Amino acid sequence: MKRKLDLKNGIVHGTPAYIVAVMTLLVLLVLSILTAVTIGSVDLSVSDVYGVILYKLFGIGDPDVFGAGAMSDIVWFIRLPRIMLATAVGMGLAVAGVVMQAIVKNPIADPYILGISSGASLGATAAIFLGVGAVFGSNSIGICAFIGAFCISLLVQMTANIGGRANSIRLLLAGTALSSVCSAFSNFIVYIGGDRDGIQTVTFWLMGSLAGAKWENIAVILPCVVVVTLFFCSQYRILNMMLLGDDVSITLGTDLHRYRQVYLLVSALVIGFAVYSAGIIGFVGLIIPHVVRMFFGTDHKKMVPITALCGSIFLIWADVACRTIIPKQEVPIGILVSMIGAPCFIYLLVRRSYGFGGERS
Amino acid sequence: MNIETSGIEMILGGSQILKGISLSATGREFIGIIGPNGSGKSTFLKCIYRVLKPTGGAVMIDGRPLEQYRVKETAQKLAVVSQHNYYNFEFSVEDIVLMGRSPHKKTMERDNAEDYRIVEESLAKVGMLDYKGRVFSSLSGGEQQRIILARALAQKTESLILDEPTNHLDIKYQLQLLDIVKKLGITVISAFHDLNIAAAYCDKIYALKSGQIVAGGTPEEVITSRLIRELYEVDATVRKDEFGMLNIVYHPLHVRKGEEA
Repeated sequence: MKRKLDLKNGIVHGTPAYIVAVMTLLVLLVLSILTAVTIGSVDLSVSDVYGVILYKLFGIGDPDVFGAGAMSDIVWFIRLPRIMLATAVGMGLAVAGVVMQAIVKNPIADPYILGISSGASLGATAAIFLGVGAVFGSNSIGICAFIGAFCISLLVQMTANIGGRANSIRLLLAGTALSSVCSAFSNFIVYIGGDRDGIQTVTFWLMGSLAGAKWENIAVILPCVVVVTLFFCSQYRILNMMLLGDDVSITLGTDLHRYRQVYLLVSALVIGFAVYSAGIIGFVGLIIPHVVRMFFGTDHKKMVPITALCGSIFLIWADVACRTIIPKQEVPIGILVSMIGAPCFIYLLVRRSYGFGGERS
Repeated sequence: MNIETSGIEMILGGSQILKGISLSATGREFIGIIGPNGSGKSTFLKCIYRVLKPTGGAVMIDGRPLEQYRVKETAQKLAVVSQHNYYNFEFSVEDIVLMGRSPHKKTMERDNAEDYRIVEESLAKVGMLDYKGRVFSSLSGGEQQRIILARALAQKTESLILDEPTNHLDIKYQLQLLDIVKKLGITVISAFHDLNIAAAYCDKIYALKSGQIVAGGTPEEVITSRLIRELYEVDATVRKDEFGMLNIVYHPLHVRKGEEA
């Protein structure tokens, strides 16, 4: 019988399997970026695409061919920013998913579970229908969504802390309650507004899209997401303990309360950025952590880096599919991710008898 | 190590659960706490291991009040094995035991070879070394409880608090677990349901009823027919067997009726 590689505890040539996996995924991520940039609705040759990138990055090559013009713009201002944004958003959502699942101690949690998506929708709706945030200029929807997401996340924490310390159950309850309040207000605004164009804009925005990628946003978001990911990589021990609960953690020398609050704020920031730049892309933050857990186990030392890289790679390819699956038209990424991702996830769930622990299916 | 409590009081939800509990444990003593359901055993132990903050009284560890220690420091001094250990996520046995090393780690510090050595040593002590790579939630109750004990051992503490750790375990595992603990030769405070087992392992026993200590001393002094009647409202005979062990035999109602007739 063939010996199966044990990814959870295995060792490959003297290095733990998960480190090998991280290295492999890093290489895959770079390859994905380099391949994805050559794919698009406009047919460009591979050498031209890399010519533009080389020129822009290092000033190598002919400025007249690669420095300006339609080809240069497509590669440098449309394709590459989208891919970098996919990298950042995918990583951010996947890591935020892992952290949320640990904070609320519940495997069905996703980055939006504590009302963040409803808060973002409320912000976006207010911006679209009421013109709130017009002072922010062209990206007022995104900025209002960011503010909505961040405020709700703070409110959920505050509510959960009233009359006792916030634990995972109180957070979940506060999140659910505030989330319904926000949805109700969004719906109210839409209903009163009765503006067809507005409704379409909101719907489209809620489906998520990476089309609005701009370098000046990416310059903030990508470093931020990478720093947050590295931060959570260093917090694996506390993330592990969160899953054991408050009481056990105290006996292991850690009072989770403070950490939970910091983690929530940091995640809210990342999710807010993701919402700001790409709308609401569901599913990534829920599914990627689960798939990684199936193969590598629950230990966050392995989970966080692997999930982060998988999230990036997944979203890059999902976006490529969005751009190319229907000629001359784009499928909103949120729809595509769920249409393809959900069946894949169900397949994995059935095949690997993965039971989140406890009872095995 | 020296654990001393003086006049611990606890009010939870308006009712007084603990009414001034004072006891002490030093050196290699194995202290047992017995009492009926709801007598406050668990609440009292939680006050010692800091999950609850007593409303009155003080817990002293090595002569210093508990609040003066950081949570991390107490976790270096006392480890806890409690009854409920169900986790919603799949951890490997090694992951679980490795968490026992966290009191000795700085926030950003990685695990080193020494930690992994201690994990193996702890697993070996509870006879579960072969289970290192297994998924914790797939183990039986007895195996899980031994893993939790291994985690406590990995904390390398001078004392251990057991909160009815042998609940749900069959008799083989109950004895096995307590034998391992007894062999450690550290300060142990444990809550017990089973009086025979308490008598077999404890150096000193305190009997708790309605949040008060009603008796304290060696098993022989404490566990008597009169006390069992007082605590549990049950008739029992206490005698010594040929090994000099206390042996408690309960008299269920139907047996007594038979005697009378």
